[in-house]
Amino acid sequence: MGRARIDIRTIVPLALLAVLVFGVPLLSADRYLLKVLTFVGVNVIIVTGMALLFGYAGQVSLGHAAFYGIGAYTSAYVVTSLGWPWLAGVAAAIVLTSVGGLLLALPSLRLKGHYLAMATLGFGEIMRVVFVEARGLTGGPDGFSGIPFPSLVGISIDSAGGNYWLIWGVVTVVLAFSANLVRSRVGRAMRALHGSESGALACGIDLTGLKVRVFVISAALAGLAGALYAHVVGFISPSTFSLHVSVLLVAMAVLGGTRSLAGPVLAAILLTTIPFADAVIPGLSRSALETIQEWQEDVYGLTIIAVMIFVPGGLAGALRRISALGRRAG
Amino acid sequence: MSYEPRIVLSVEGVHAGYGHVSVVRGIDLRVAEGELVTLIGANGAGKSTLLKTIVGLVSPTAGTIHFLEQDITRMRPDRAVRAGLALVPEGRMLFGPMTVEENLELGAHARDRSDSAEDLKRVFDLFPVLQERRSQTAATLSGGEQQMLAVARALMARPRLLLLDEPSLGLAPKVIKEIFAALDRLKAEGLTILLVEQDARLALKHADRGYVMRTGSIALAGNAADLLADDDVRLIYLGAWHGEGESS
Ligand SMILES: Nc1ncnc2c1ncn2[C@@H]1O[C@H](COP(=O)(O)OP(=O)(O)O)[C@@H](O)[C@H]1O
Ligand SMILES: [Mg+2]
Repeated sequence: MGRARIDIRTIVPLALLAVLVFGVPLLSADRYLLKVLTFVGVNVIIVTGMALLFGYAGQVSLGHAAFYGIGAYTSAYVVTSLGWPWLAGVAAAIVLTSVGGLLLALPSLRLKGHYLAMATLGFGEIMRVVFVEARGLTGGPDGFSGIPFPSLVGISIDSAGGNYWLIWGVVTVVLAFSANLVRSRVGRAMRALHGSESGALACGIDLTGLKVRVFVISAALAGLAGALYAHVVGFISPSTFSLHVSVLLVAMAVLGGTRSLAGPVLAAILLTTIPFADAVIPGLSRSALETIQEWQEDVYGLTIIAVMIFVPGGLAGALRRISALGRRAG
Repeated sequence: MSYEPRIVLSVEGVHAGYGHVSVVRGIDLRVAEGELVTLIGANGAGKSTLLKTIVGLVSPTAGTIHFLEQDITRMRPDRAVRAGLALVPEGRMLFGPMTVEENLELGAHARDRSDSAEDLKRVFDLFPVLQERRSQTAATLSGGEQQMLAVARALMARPRLLLLDEPSLGLAPKVIKEIFAALDRLKAEGLTILLVEQDARLALKHADRGYVMRTGSIALAGNAADLLADDDVRLIYLGAWHGEGESS
């Protein structure tokens, strides 16, 4: 049927990438590097959801850090305070954020563009206040500490390498699920929605249902990421889930480009690594790193502006042009 | 003539508009099974708004719309497609960055089934050029090919009633001929069609009946042949609205 989209040109680079990604803990015992890359993986999971929401379904959310937070606090609470197994904590986080996503999506989808952004922004701010004020559950502004490491079948995953593998294993599953989704009937409808809403309506696509579903998926992915983050790091506080983080997530999705998973994933890797540049660039001086961290916001801002001006279509656009060049050359 | 054909679409006293602006003002219109009915009228008469109201893209302020005995007044557009109405919208509204084949499969979206291969064969048979272009993106097609794709996409939903909004707009005479030949063929196969056109002569030549719309209401209705022959002056006037009265 001429739709065998998985060809050797995709398989080989992906396999190489997988070997490289999963080989890192074997090549390097640098705990700092592994921690940074684990954190990168957490952000990749959230940004994959943002890519589906923004890049495919064309919806903006300025409240996704709240879902990230809900997932983190839910799993931290039920595992640490109630003694549930870690996997049950992850499941609880996913369920709660899915329901939260549904509750936010239903009223929001009557709104468009700026109004939807404002509604999600409001939700994010409300949740930030809840994280600070619901001391009994969240530990308030001091944060929630003593969260146990993830454990599977009673074995605690407490090494830096183990956590790295766990997170990137989940990243792989999430990316495989999402790549499959965007190629499915639903994914085709999502791309159609971004192309022409009136065309999508003429085809009998249920726009509201589709938007709600994507919203729920992206909220659940943020919740999953939260549950992973809380147990890998062992400590969470409201500042990790602030508006600042929501904006950063949107920036990654925008920088990554639309109708692409690879672009936003690359953007998440780049922007997450910038403040920890010394982990990947050996010999970067302490003062250089401090300068980067001090100017972090400006670096983000400038990077985004530069991409918008010089790389139309974001990183996804650049990737498409490179692969087109490769096809012409090969 | 005792045999009464089944009424597929029945529009009764429909009013519709945008916000406080009333555009469609009390329209009665019927389409029987197997008929090709055309709705003609000047730019801004409200033809597109009426089509959008029928398929649920615009909500009527008064009146009722029935489709095969089912009340579809204010039905959601995705439900209307499921019920058997398919619109070829004004301006085509294709998915430019997606391939011809993807556009067509999106047309079959509402059917929730994966037996679209058979439908693909049917529309490629109707418009062979689409088969040649199946892996090209819609944006790279010529205007005529895009219009064919828009018609084909609507057919992929297996409609009981096909609604078309100005399919000849901006196309060369040769291409228009091809598209209207396809409509004739669909009609011969038994499809019921409601056609909105700017070119009154062209539309009436292919239609069984016609309605002439003027500023939101029906000014004239009748057999296509009667409308064509009967009142030449009026028809020249109709044609002259678009400066194309002399086309044969
Ligand atoms: N989306 C819209 N919002 C407001 N007014 C509209 C809209 N679409 C059409 N109109 C107005 O409604 C009137 C009828 O338009 P339309 O139904 O497109 O007529 P036609 O298809 O016969 O040319 C026009 O005066 C037009 O300006
Ligand atoms: Mg019109």
